[in-house]
Amino acid sequence: MADSAAEARIDQSLVARALLGNDRRAFEQLLRRHQGIVRAQLRRLLHGDEAAADDLAQEAFLLAWRKLDQFRGEAKFSTWLYRIAYSCFLQASRKRSWPAGDADEGEAEQLPAAPHSVDLQVDFERAMRQLSTAEQTVLLHCVQLSLSHEEAAFVLAMPLGTVKTHATRGKAKLKAWLAAWNETATEEQTS
Amino acid sequence: MSHPHDDAIEALLRKQFDGPVRDEGFSERVMQRLPPRHQRMAWPLWAGVVAGTAACWLSLMFSPLLHAGWRDWVSGELSAPAMTLLLALAAMSLLASWWSVAEADDR
Repeated sequence: MADSAAEARIDQSLVARALLGNDRRAFEQLLRRHQGIVRAQLRRLLHGDEAAADDLAQEAFLLAWRKLDQFRGEAKFSTWLYRIAYSCFLQASRKRSWPAGDADEGEAEQLPAAPHSVDLQVDFERAMRQLSTAEQTVLLHCVQLSLSHEEAAFVLAMPLGTVKTHATRGKAKLKAWLAAWNETATEEQTS
Repeated sequence: MSHPHDDAIEALLRKQFDGPVRDEGFSERVMQRLPPRHQRMAWPLWAGVVAGTAACWLSLMFSPLLHAGWRDWVSGELSAPAMTLLLALAAMSLLASWWSVAEADDR
């Protein structure tokens, strides 16, 4: 917690330096500090399309540079960047044929019944893809990027209640899938 | 309160996430494309404010309504011109407050 507060203070002072002195090196430091996780966010949103994710990440950082004076420090700098990156992703997915990330709805089909593969990780990846886009997106931000529900709501521009619903629903579906997976694995071991 | 299955799901989700991507020249490429930032110039706004105030003052200076309103207001008489002047001042103050709040929200 203290670490995260210290990190936030460093970001704040770098933003102030970049704004007041038009200091490109301060912005470069911000860029180096956050590029890795923003690119990881976009890679997940684009289901592993690294080139497209890097193009969008570049676009997001250029936008962040232009809009830096609009960063009010109410959210963490990283959260603000996630929001910019996510809106770049949304805009791009409207233009191109990527699966739309703002699909609030579009319930996924039923999760597959207990799989027979022994590779939990591979099966889990497959199970994730069966979730609705909104559930996947919320779980990415809340669990994998470790954002709070409030921060995820800010990044995804979704009401807080909707974020919580998607997180609970997504986890419940994965939980049912995991229970089925465990049963099958036990059966396979005993037979 | 977290259910053990919740923890298992979260652990699997975290394990599935590759984490931050290595830079490998990305930051340098972005820095090369960084455009110069244009500072918003303040003088056109202030020039507009001064010009608007001057135009307003010049057009009202020769109006008998303003003189009558001002005279009545100073003498403490709430006549129609004085009330009009007061209402106009109140409306302008409200507009200025609303504009300031809107500007502050945009920042």
